[in-house]
Amino acid sequence: MNLVTKEKKAFSRPMRLLSALMLLGEDLIKVPLFRCQRCGECILSHTGFVCSQRCPKRLRNGPCGGTGEDGHCEVYPERMCIWYMIYRRASFFGRLKMLYRVEKIHNWNLEKTSAWLNVFAKRIEPPKWRVPKEEVKP
Amino acid sequence: MSLREKIASGEFVVCAELGPPQSCDDAVIRKKAGCFKGVVDAVNITDNQTAIVRLSSIAAGRILLEEGVEPIVQMTCRDRNRIAIQSDLLGAAAMGIENILCLTGDHQRFGDHPEARGVFDLDSIQLIAAVRQMSEGSLLSGQPLKKAPNFLIGAAANPCAEPLEMRLIRLEKKVRSGAAFIQTQPVFDLDQFSRWLEMARRRGLHEKSALLAGVLPVRSAKALEYMAREVPGMRIHPRYLERMRAAAEPQEEGVAIAVEMIGALRQMEGVAGIHLMPVMWESITPRIIQEAGLMPAHAPRPACPPCSGGENEAKF
Repeated sequence: MNLVTKEKKAFSRPMRLLSALMLLGEDLIKVPLFRCQRCGECILSHTGFVCSQRCPKRLRNGPCGGTGEDGHCEVYPERMCIWYMIYRRASFFGRLKMLYRVEKIHNWNLEKTSAWLNVFAKRIEPPKWRVPKEEVKP
Repeated sequence: MSLREKIASGEFVVCAELGPPQSCDDAVIRKKAGCFKGVVDAVNITDNQTAIVRLSSIAAGRILLEEGVEPIVQMTCRDRNRIAIQSDLLGAAAMGIENILCLTGDHQRFGDHPEARGVFDLDSIQLIAAVRQMSEGSLLSGQPLKKAPNFLIGAAANPCAEPLEMRLIRLEKKVRSGAAFIQTQPVFDLDQFSRWLEMARRRGLHEKSALLAGVLPVRSAKALEYMAREVPGMRIHPRYLERMRAAAEPQEEGVAIAVEMIGALRQMEGVAGIHLMPVMWESITPRIIQEAGLMPAHAPRPACPPCSGGENEAKF
């Protein structure tokens, strides 16, 4: 059982340069589209293409117990609970089964790095586009 | 009988809850422990609930063990990163604590230090999985432990928040990650709770994990109104608000509602026990358990001095 996104060897100098460039491009797309928080360990494909890292507690596995009846965040009542939005979006796209995955514990060294390059460099799991037919097991 | 044995035996489990004091006064904990000894199976010790600084839950758990009460130590992810969590868990195990309730934790904005940095390195599901991995003999890093702890893992669930399906998905993840028992938020809306329970039963979660329904005795109509208004994720049926407002003796009415609730919950299929939360009103526990007919036959008469006044006692 591997719960944690393990730390890998640091990038070489050219890779670091590439990473900075990729991050620039990624931000141009993902920040306006998804309000990406640049965690570097993208799970958008699991969460109905709503960024879960907008949650004040940065929960990756589902909502905390404080969501109001009408789906408002307990910390900032003027906002909607991000997991409420994920649920709605995921059911709209027919991707509710993806929410059964237990997400790995975040590697904080990946903050502000390019998730695309991290997939390419096998630092994180690739996005899962296809919804599995049967139940997802961790 | 320990909590683990009690859950395995399938008997009706009764847990209670104790909030450590906002000081280093261990006498407060010992006095409250007297209300629970021989009355309930295990007692939750809250971990800086609502993000207010209190005596450490692990230390309080040790004090409860000394008093002969089985503790369930709550562990939140708000204040510790993975290093501190694992270190605290090893410490707790070394002090004889066997039950851990894994929570994400209230956001620090609600507490007495709203400026604090929230950690949230893990969330409750990852914490459950981490505790299980430690119980199986290795740290999160994969390093094996020479002596592994043997924890009974608990988790929390909120049967009242919408959307219900998302709640159940999360609950299923918790159970699959290794939660052996689930404590719910206080139930004040039986229809909503039975809807939630029905969905949990359909997923077979009541067979894999013991579902303990939360019961909270209230002291006054004001306390109930406060909860309805301020506590996030609570749903209170207006019937109870009316009953509390109309009551001549609100404390008696609060006890009556709690006893009634326990009676109704016991009838439901899939409820393995109750989790009593007498917030700042620990002294009422023996009476409620007695009136609900859950007092263990061989229980010694609890030597519980009438707790009056005291710190925060007036709040609820």
